Amino acid sequence: MKNDSIVFHGNLQQLLAKVETGEMIPKLQASHAPMCKFFTAYYVISGIRHVVPLVHGPTGCPLYMSDFVRTRECCEIRGVPLEPTACTALDESHVIYGGEGKLLEAVREAYAKYHPDLIVILSCCCSGIIGDDVESIAREAEKLVGCRVLALRSEGFGGDFRSGYEDAFRLILDLMEPPKKTMKGTINILGARWGPTPTEFNWDMDEIERLLGKVKIKINAIIAGGCTVEQITHAREVELNASWCYDWGQKLGDLMQERYGIPYSRTGQPYGPEATKEWILGVATPLGMEKKALAVIEREMREVKPDLAYLKKALAGKTAIIEISEFPGPIRALSLARMAEEFGAHPVVINVHPYTIKERMPSIKFLLETGVNPEIILTKGLFKLGSFRSSKETEDELEEIVRTYDDAIFFGNAGRFPPCPVVNLTLMNPAFQPQYGFRGIKNIAALVRQALENKDLPRSRLFKGMLYGTRTK
Amino acid sequence: MGQGRSKRAAGAETPVPDKCTDPYLRCAFNGAAQTALGVAGSALLAHSPQGCEYLVNNAFASQECDYMETMTLCTKLCVDEIVHGGEDLLARTIREAKDLPISALFVLSACGPEIVGDDIVGVCEDMQPEVKFRLVPVPCAGFRGSQYDGIDIALDEILKRLTKNSKEKMPNSVCLIAPHANANPTWIADLDWVKRILSQMGVRVVATLTHRTPLAEIENVASAETSLVLSHDAGQKAADYLSATWGTEQVCTGIPLPIGMTNTQRWLATLGERFDAQKAAESMVAEGERMVMATCRRKWPMARFFYRTPAAIVADATVGIPLVRFVCEEMEMTPELVALYTSQRTVRTLLERELKELGLTPRVVYGTDVYMTRKSLAEVQPRVVFGSTIERHASEGLGVSYIVEVVKIMRQFRMINREYFGYTGILNLFECVQNEWTMGWRSKERSYEAKW
Repeated sequence: MKNDSIVFHGNLQQLLAKVETGEMIPKLQASHAPMCKFFTAYYVISGIRHVVPLVHGPTGCPLYMSDFVRTRECCEIRGVPLEPTACTALDESHVIYGGEGKLLEAVREAYAKYHPDLIVILSCCCSGIIGDDVESIAREAEKLVGCRVLALRSEGFGGDFRSGYEDAFRLILDLMEPPKKTMKGTINILGARWGPTPTEFNWDMDEIERLLGKVKIKINAIIAGGCTVEQITHAREVELNASWCYDWGQKLGDLMQERYGIPYSRTGQPYGPEATKEWILGVATPLGMEKKALAVIEREMREVKPDLAYLKKALAGKTAIIEISEFPGPIRALSLARMAEEFGAHPVVINVHPYTIKERMPSIKFLLETGVNPEIILTKGLFKLGSFRSSKETEDELEEIVRTYDDAIFFGNAGRFPPCPVVNLTLMNPAFQPQYGFRGIKNIAALVRQALENKDLPRSRLFKGMLYGTRTK
Repeated sequence: MGQGRSKRAAGAETPVPDKCTDPYLRCAFNGAAQTALGVAGSALLAHSPQGCEYLVNNAFASQECDYMETMTLCTKLCVDEIVHGGEDLLARTIREAKDLPISALFVLSACGPEIVGDDIVGVCEDMQPEVKFRLVPVPCAGFRGSQYDGIDIALDEILKRLTKNSKEKMPNSVCLIAPHANANPTWIADLDWVKRILSQMGVRVVATLTHRTPLAEIENVASAETSLVLSHDAGQKAADYLSATWGTEQVCTGIPLPIGMTNTQRWLATLGERFDAQKAAESMVAEGERMVMATCRRKWPMARFFYRTPAAIVADATVGIPLVRFVCEEMEMTPELVALYTSQRTVRTLLERELKELGLTPRVVYGTDVYMTRKSLAEVQPRVVFGSTIERHASEGLGVSYIVEVVKIMRQFRMINREYFGYTGILNLFECVQNEWTMGWRSKERSYEAKW
């Protein structure tokens, strides 16, 4: 394919090699700014019920969690009660003289005000740089209050967004007590954050719980997606750990396996029939419940038989151009690529940012081991100055690339306008959720049908103008 | 800024512990970003770790920026820059942006680089010859205060760095200050209303500090005869600076902003008097009041049934203080709790004067946070709360019947900006009340299923 805008064209293995050698990491400082370590650590901790995440910093740091996650996502969408997003509100005098005294008082005050089951001190840039010893304060404070007090070094500058998740999960390990018994047929689901986040939606999790329920597999805790401290303390009593996505659960799963010998089911996201089967069996087989699981799978497969037949017929021989631009996480794109291939299409993943490959290295390697190695195209627009928003450059480049294929179908979201049918896999439309599991197959079949049957209907000039302006190239 | 004092208006102050707060307000960095992003044809470079970019995004949305016109950049500081300093990286990032078609690049520093001593002013001076646009450094680390302090910091930098000397004053002209320090989520409509009525009075707006303000307007600020602060929470320092430096007279001081009939009438009359436009002001008041009454007569809002219902107001001072009279006088409720996000002396003076004039003695909480709000709601037990989505959840289990969401609204989406200022503003507030009242009547469950 000849196209001046293409900066990489190869497969996942080749892209990974370039990322590992540093050849494919964007040099533009000003481009692509995902969350900092503080945010992601905060996400994980906020997924524990009755916790006070106590931010040791100025009042700006809790903004996102306070305004959007707590009030909108948790209270409005998930039925979670209003939980505190407490803060020590450091000012100039604390920056000069230190904030440890205030922090100790703040922990006592937090306990008196909120009666939490757990307090987690989160350090941020300010407290990190001035050297406040949050761990010692946590130890001291724990003697003064009636709950556990832990500290998490989560300075925004201290690591990439992934390190925040991983450090928070590592901290959660400290809450797990030695097992008093084994909970037969019971698992933990690992890797959740406060949920729903862009990679973790209620509907997908509901489908996983539904399928596990059919096999009679019980869940002790979804860590940390609304679990209690009590559930975490018993987390070592399960027979197995699993995750809806290998990537998110991997760190905690590996740690629990190494330290406590609890096996971790390594499977990818349950997109499509094969991955869903693998996911269920990956959990059921180690629990000795394979037979029951196979019976459930057979029943569920019967239910979706017409959808599977349709998807095979509709996608056979097509080129599936896959882009997850809404949330630039590559794992969903790769899971979709696997599913498209299963239905007879040739997947081409477009514009998965090398930065996100770098941050998910172990998971990408795992997917490669399982045979997921799709064709990948990266374009110049991906590396353009500025933050990740709907970009005219990447839209133009996508349209150009699609034109070079005879029978393309686009898997992404309706914010793109390629000259081919568009399968609107946005995670922002509850009408077609979940995408995981067998119910996901029904929804994806419906979305593909919509795309193909309506491909000649006019697209919205209004939305295109809104997203990309009215200028022509 | 002091925080955490609650008191009965007529009683003694009761200190409340405030080591652990759950704040409504964001940091200075966020306020400075809101201000910088109000300058048209500019871009913003956050000299910060990448997480602070979210404070910029929040500011971007608040100023209704268009991502096809306004770019935000970030130096994405990591451990290396915190240990060795980030000035080189800042210079490199400015170089990366050198081809942007902008008139100014605002460089905002966050907590990290300020603590380690990055000299953003020095870097901007060094880099200025290399770029075609103006570099405007704004040291505004989050720890410098609240978002309102950040607005004042950025306005100070903008005025000191960008305004030009002017001996000539433009007659009947005004500089509008801090329209964005307003918790109405669609405050831009408030600003539009102000501009409309000024135009009807023949008053020219020299510059708005800031909202879609071209650099050229900022340069001309000194030629404004008067200044008008559109917030009770921020902007006063800028007005004082203009007065001290350019002799700019501040108008409409010491009275609440124009929310509700009486406040609007008083505000318009004050403006009319200053700009010799009393007749225009009187006519606006007469026509506005007639329109509001006629509309209410035709639409018949049920909000009038709230006669002397105990109410709480939880908001910024800009919306909260004028709401006291609106709730008490126009809506005939009884404000029994007023909890304001801020606590400056000017805020206290203004609120206390209003309460005295109205003969009210509600519980007053200055510098409230979410915890103090919930505690106060539990103690005062109002039936109606004028506040935000946060109070809807914070008042669960406290017997509050109606939460009228007027600030920090997250349950509803407004495509069309709605003002609270002026006469249409009254109707917009009535609409908020009416919709909440309607929701209050909704049956929570069906008593039986239909047959079809």
